[in-house]
Amino acid sequence: MVSITLFLALAAILFCIGLYGVLTRRHLVIVLASIELMLNAVNINLVAFSAIGPFANITGQVFTLFVITVAAAEAAVALAILIALYRNRNSIDVLKHDLLRW
Amino acid sequence: MNAQMFFFIVFALIAIISAVLIMALERIAHRVVAMAFSFFAVAAIYFLLGAEFIGIVQIMVYVGAITILFVFGMMMTEHRNVGFGPDPRKTQQILGFVGVGFLLAFMLYAIVTADLPNSGEPYVGSAEIIGLELYGHYFIAFIGSAFLLTSALIGAVVIARKEAD
Repeated sequence: MVSITLFLALAAILFCIGLYGVLTRRHLVIVLASIELMLNAVNINLVAFSAIGPFANITGQVFTLFVITVAAAEAAVALAILIALYRNRNSIDVLKHDLLRW
Repeated sequence: MNAQMFFFIVFALIAIISAVLIMALERIAHRVVAMAFSFFAVAAIYFLLGAEFIGIVQIMVYVGAITILFVFGMMMTEHRNVGFGPDPRKTQQILGFVGVGFLLAFMLYAIVTADLPNSGEPYVGSAEIIGLELYGHYFIAFIGSAFLLTSALIGAVVIARKEAD
């Protein structure tokens, strides 16, 4: 069996790529895709601990299901907000939406 | 090198390369396709870990539903616009890269030095055990997620529809 360290390292790399995308990309769809990538990395951690962790049991997989549910709801609402934003302000460039910035 | 190690390396490379391609490709449609590939590779990682049910759910929800949702979101906004011109936030990009690089280095250091005992045989959970746990211990959370999905459905419809004056 592959050691759990490798799974955790893969999850950390995916999480950091997603974090970099959230911090630096300008297209809002890509920012949302990066958030999904980060949630995926967390799920890899949960499933890895559930399968080959020190106290392997089913709880990690149950929590993965909850994370997937919340991610699906978040993606639906976020894309609806995106469409409303585009209709009202005619752009989905992150830099153009700084009304609340002081 | 045994077969599991080989498949792990293959799928991990696919996941990481397509995750980088999400950031690096030029057209938005190509980026969404790279995202689908990344989700597929993560589903393969779940199969490798013996979590078949989670892998199937990952393919159904992420590859099947969320990617299509992103395609719709891309189509209804400015997808022809390849870029937004030069980015005025050069310092922020460099700072972001350096900060995320440090975070990754610290996390990898912590993971490598952590003393994680390997439990010899991998634990394989079936859909039946997940269902029993979901309707037993986590019943309230399960009902809560049902309410969450309903409110997300209604909220998405209300937010995205045209204002009827």
